[in-house]
Amino acid sequence: MTTPETNETLGVPKAEFLQSVRQALGREDVPPAEPYPRLTETQAELEDQAAQIRRRLEENLPALLDKLAEMAALGGWKVHRASGVEEAIGYIESVARESGATNIVRSAQDVFDQVPVDAALTNLGLKVTTVLRDEANTREALREEIRQAGIGITGADYALAETGSLIILPRRGLSRLVSLVPPVHIALVRPEEVLESLDDLFLLRRLEYHQRGGEMGSYLNFITGPSRTADIEMTIVEGVHGPKEVHMVILG
Amino acid sequence: MPEIKTEQFFAASAAAMKNPKLRRALDRVGSGFDVARISAIDEVTPEVWEQWRQQGRDIKVHTIEHLDYYLDLLYTNVTAAGGQLHFANDASQANEIVAHIARTRNVKVATKSKSMVSEELELNPVLEAIGVEVWETDLGEYIIQLAKETPSHLVAPALHKSKEDVAELFTEKLGIPYDEDIFHMAATARTVLRDKFMEADLGISGANFVVAETGTLVIITNEGNGRLCTSAPRIHIGITGMEKVIPSMQDLAVFLRLLPRSATGQRITSYVSMITGPRRSDDEDGPEEFHLVLVDNGRSRMLADPALREALNCIRCGACLNICPVYQRIGGHAYGWVYPGPIGAVVSPMLIGLKQAKELPQASSLCGACREVCPVKIDIPRMLLDLRHKSAESPDKSQRSAKAAERTVARLYAMLMSSPRLLRLAVRCGRFLQKAERFIPFFSPLSKDGKWIKNAPLPPLSKWTRSRDLPTLPKQTFHEVWQKELSRDDS
Ligand code: SF4
Repeated sequence: MTTPETNETLGVPKAEFLQSVRQALGREDVPPAEPYPRLTETQAELEDQAAQIRRRLEENLPALLDKLAEMAALGGWKVHRASGVEEAIGYIESVARESGATNIVRSAQDVFDQVPVDAALTNLGLKVTTVLRDEANTREALREEIRQAGIGITGADYALAETGSLIILPRRGLSRLVSLVPPVHIALVRPEEVLESLDDLFLLRRLEYHQRGGEMGSYLNFITGPSRTADIEMTIVEGVHGPKEVHMVILG
Repeated sequence: MPEIKTEQFFAASAAAMKNPKLRRALDRVGSGFDVARISAIDEVTPEVWEQWRQQGRDIKVHTIEHLDYYLDLLYTNVTAAGGQLHFANDASQANEIVAHIARTRNVKVATKSKSMVSEELELNPVLEAIGVEVWETDLGEYIIQLAKETPSHLVAPALHKSKEDVAELFTEKLGIPYDEDIFHMAATARTVLRDKFMEADLGISGANFVVAETGTLVIITNEGNGRLCTSAPRIHIGITGMEKVIPSMQDLAVFLRLLPRSATGQRITSYVSMITGPRRSDDEDGPEEFHLVLVDNGRSRMLADPALREALNCIRCGACLNICPVYQRIGGHAYGWVYPGPIGAVVSPMLIGLKQAKELPQASSLCGACREVCPVKIDIPRMLLDLRHKSAESPDKSQRSAKAAERTVARLYAMLMSSPRLLRLAVRCGRFLQKAERFIPFFSPLSKDGKWIKNAPLPPLSKWTRSRDLPTLPKQTFHEVWQKELSRDDS
């Protein structure tokens, strides 16, 4: 592996480029006369708004769960609302059986402590691999496991009622590929992960960014239904590069 | 830059209109995308939609007016997240940046997700020339890459191809048996490209938005190829125009409501991916390097012209193409360059020069449909008129769309209309000729009821009536009616 030189200047130096933009605009090098309101919000203000969001979510939780289920179904998810852990596991077993998968990969998120799927799936004779790097499991080895898998199972970081989307923040224990490469994806959503709107989501993300001193992790993904294309004669085909079949199991 | 064929606009559009296969494909745009767009708007109510449009527009206008400031902020935050931001003045500089990264990192295979800007820059041949295998992975882009063609729509690049075309192409290029089942063809592409994703050293993506506040690149896709391109290879390069920056992550809320609904009528696309820097050290996967290349390539010319600046607000949803009566008849390729349709007719002359693209602003009936559907309320007809004006008044003859004869006619017309005496005289002459035509046997230029001139005998009128009818002169002009009757009340 080559070690890239860091911060090499390619192309035009920043100062020069910005100067030509300024010249085109006929502007001096000054910030906007009226600062952009969202960019002047302090962490305390964001915390305040986040607390309001949390209160609103708590008050409306049952309605929000209904809305999430409705919008997710419209977005192409097969939605299953499980009243308890047993039922959730039972549903996952039935999806596994029907898919004909022999290998399953899953992320290492704490929802699996609550919903222990491994034992149930192993009992069905399936191979279950947790995608978490360690001495024995290198990135390359895990990637191969993911490629072989018929099903990928993940938890949620958030779920958006407005759009019926699952939101995941890939990081240690949550591979980018587990929800993407296998033809079937099952997502477990807990009630406390539900948000009402896009505005809620971005506010919480910005708050975390502030709280962690300008760090928000490398990736965020919205997933809403199966992978789709309509590039040939505008006919919708599901499962072109990502999963063809996606299940959202809502615990509650 | 890709071959520029804007100068053949008239010939190309005439040919396109005679192509029945293309007509069928274009019908699907109206019945597919536009119908879906309308019902998505009805669902949220037109009132709410209008509020979102205004919010989206306000954010864009503010950002473009302070573009230097937000680019600087973006630079700071991309760098803070461990990424690298590179600026390029033009296509060759941008391509060289990507080629340099590919060379120094020993890149053999690159996968690309859809990027109109990379089409604009014509990046692929540059990478291929240094020995990099480049794979377009969006199904539509993959099809046109195999066919060695260019996109014909901002959102659905291979719209002009029928399933039979694609089946033949796959047979020829991939050596598989002919199979025109659309589902099977999509599955073939999945299999072929899946291997490439896993092999690729470099993933190249475009960007729908880049967020200055956090240094985040945002891509909005349906297929999942964008996710693979930004997750599987060891290097990710995002390439886009400098106008794609927005101030705050919070601003994404409104754009994620506007863009999918306007583009395909979806409430949201299957995937929205937000990338902030390379993978962190303990991440399970993701690229080790993240680069963002922002290009000017003629955009500062738009920026410098207050009349055309708002073209930079475009979020490339394609809604103005789907609704445009001209695009619906001629399709994307007739426009002769990467950006088709009403917005292309504004953007192309600014990016490649009015001289080569002077015919494009003429390709509009100025009906205003594009302005009405635009999710960020861009006034395209106003800009088309401005470009027509610039073309007509240009001291440089090569920028003028009108031929000498047309200019003379326009000048005569102006003279006539600004002199009541001349106009009266002309009307009298015209009436005389209209009466006289009755005595010409066989070839009457008039319609049966005498209300329309169908085939004027002499140029320049004969040119006009080749594709349109001209109303005949009435027995009494409004002016005459006014003089005789209406003005009496005043006296
Ligand atoms: S001009 Fe408006 S309608 Fe046309 S592509 Fe751009 S954003 Fe969409």
